[in-house]
Amino acid sequence: MLRENETVSLGPGELFGEVAAMYRSPRTATVIAETEATLLEIRWQGLRILRRDKGFADTLEAHYRKHWLPVHLREIPLLRHLPESSLARVVEATQLRSFGRMEWNAGYRRTRELPVEQQIESEPVVASEGRIPTDLIIVRSGFARLSQQYGASHRTTAYLGKGHVFGLEELSCNALSVKANLTRTLRQSLRAVGFLDALFIPAEVFAEEILPHVRRSELPAAAADLMIQSGSDRSRSGDRRRRERNGIRPGDWNDLPSPTGQQFQPTGLLEFIVQKRLNNGRQAMVIDLHRCTRCDDCVKACASVHDGNPRFVRQGFTHERLQFVQACMQCTDPVCMIGCPTGAIARDEETGVVEIYEPICVGCGTCAASCPYENIRMSEVFDSQGRGYRDVQTDKPITKATKCDLCSRQPSGPACASACPHDALVRIDLSESEPLQKWLDRRS
Amino acid sequence: MLAPSFRRRRWMASTITLLLFALFVFWAWIEESRLGDATFLTGSTVLVGIVLLILLGVRRRLPVLPLGSVSVWTQIHLYLGFFTTGAYLIHVPVVLGNGWLEGGLSLVFIAVTVSGFYGIYASRRLPKRLTAVEGQHRFDRLGWHRGQIAETARCLLDDLQEPSAHPVLGQFYQDYLNPFFGSSPTLAYVLVPSGVRRRRLLNGLRELNRYLEREGRDTAGRFAALVRRRDDLDYQFALQLRLRLWLVVHSTLSIALLVGGIVHGVIAWRFTS
Repeated sequence: MLRENETVSLGPGELFGEVAAMYRSPRTATVIAETEATLLEIRWQGLRILRRDKGFADTLEAHYRKHWLPVHLREIPLLRHLPESSLARVVEATQLRSFGRMEWNAGYRRTRELPVEQQIESEPVVASEGRIPTDLIIVRSGFARLSQQYGASHRTTAYLGKGHVFGLEELSCNALSVKANLTRTLRQSLRAVGFLDALFIPAEVFAEEILPHVRRSELPAAAADLMIQSGSDRSRSGDRRRRERNGIRPGDWNDLPSPTGQQFQPTGLLEFIVQKRLNNGRQAMVIDLHRCTRCDDCVKACASVHDGNPRFVRQGFTHERLQFVQACMQCTDPVCMIGCPTGAIARDEETGVVEIYEPICVGCGTCAASCPYENIRMSEVFDSQGRGYRDVQTDKPITKATKCDLCSRQPSGPACASACPHDALVRIDLSESEPLQKWLDRRS
Repeated sequence: MLAPSFRRRRWMASTITLLLFALFVFWAWIEESRLGDATFLTGSTVLVGIVLLILLGVRRRLPVLPLGSVSVWTQIHLYLGFFTTGAYLIHVPVVLGNGWLEGGLSLVFIAVTVSGFYGIYASRRLPKRLTAVEGQHRFDRLGWHRGQIAETARCLLDDLQEPSAHPVLGQFYQDYLNPFFGSSPTLAYVLVPSGVRRRRLLNGLRELNRYLEREGRDTAGRFAALVRRRDDLDYQFALQLRLRLWLVVHSTLSIALLVGGIVHGVIAWRFTS
């Protein structure tokens, strides 16, 4: 089995799992002990404290830069055609920077109530509108808001998530422009929403090592036009013709549906989603209130597939005709998973569903307290005869964490969505704008 | 596959229903022109249609089974309802039958059809009216919200410090606000929700302003906000109750229609065969 996989040997003093622990990303490798080994496990809270030590932080960064940065850069569609030599130069020049608080959920309940302009002002600025772009910024984890000055305040234009890039158009245009006096400045500001971890690739490295290997169809329209004017696209005209013959039009994004951010047409909806941090949701429950007859068939269906205990209540934030129901959204950044003492809450690798394994849940409530959206509830547990379990010493009812599991064991999928008689309810990925936009377009 | 827009779906479903109905009319006409009796054909079609229409209720009660989404079933139910109404009009010589069974049955059919058409109207229009009102309240929590408003109003009066305002607002509270906050909405309001009560109470509070000083006026303003909230709540109650009652009436009548239809079918089959 090992022969089929890429393997690497680790020795005394070496670390593994630090990237997954620090950035709440899934582990990318399986670790097997070849001989008897003694390991020291540092919880993420400890790792965070250790990172304050400059020597340790430098070691961590060097380790990440050597082992993981090339892998992560290769995963970015824009950089997929880079030759090894260019990639090595990019790795060497890339800077790693973090903004905001990793524990964004701690202040979420306060900041979501702030007026939009105040919230935007309170967010750490990563890059300012009107400045000359100095780096190509790639989001490694967390969320960012793109905004433009509008009157006395800023207007949100898009939000960025993992893998999205910022400054591509300006940097490309500046690199391709033949007239030096036409330097483009940033058209939008970039701010960290809660927490943002980003890679910064310097402009000169981008121009020399990346841009020559980016296809015109992958560039924003303005940069693509400049590429034609500068004639640097001639060498790839054959490739373009081949693509057109195959039915792929120039300008198609293919595997890059929206590389520079997620954008909804109505600014109000966009700002609402960012404000409430709903863009964290990958399976958010959204109800169209113009179609919902308030029959509660969704709640009844949920109850019927969960032994009479519905996993959500039909309430939540509303914006015009949309209600974002308080049901687990299977978040991109599931902060509820932090701190579970038994590991009872985990994300299923295949389905992406964050599930609670009741037999090992001790009912401590850490996950329920961590969920910023209040989508996990502590509920009493009952035996097969409907009798509630009680603590022997205190005689208090025993509670365990319950949340929406997307009916992952049901052949029909989420019962709530299939039970709605009026097409009013949908489980939808809000980390991308396209699904919600299409869903709204369908009913307009 | 990308799902069609609602408009396109409506257009496609209407076209298919009309085509099927035209085919059905043609089939009945052929039966008649062959000197056969098309009544048995049209009657059986209506009965089968009713059985299929009732299956939606069965599907709604079985959310666990992978039988397709209820919204698809609802769409089929809706257009099958149109088709069955058309088939009924071809089946009956007069809209209202003359015998006691036939007359009763046709009355029930008309009642189910009318309630069905009202259902389409209600499920499309009332949600928009509900959304337009401030706050989205669950039906089962409306009573609790009413209690909260009444409690808040009581506390407002108790916390009032201004001596001159106490008798003025206290009297108004006792005469008008307390009965309003403390009782459920009247049947007349539930049937035809209107803004009369709200306007009357708000005008009353506004007229008290000249007898009040700063704190009293402030409290009167808060009472006015509570009146608006309570009225919105009652409006939600009236519309949500209507949406629920409509369904109960429609499904109960449908069961009666099915039973009556089967009896009528058996009798017709018994005497024609």
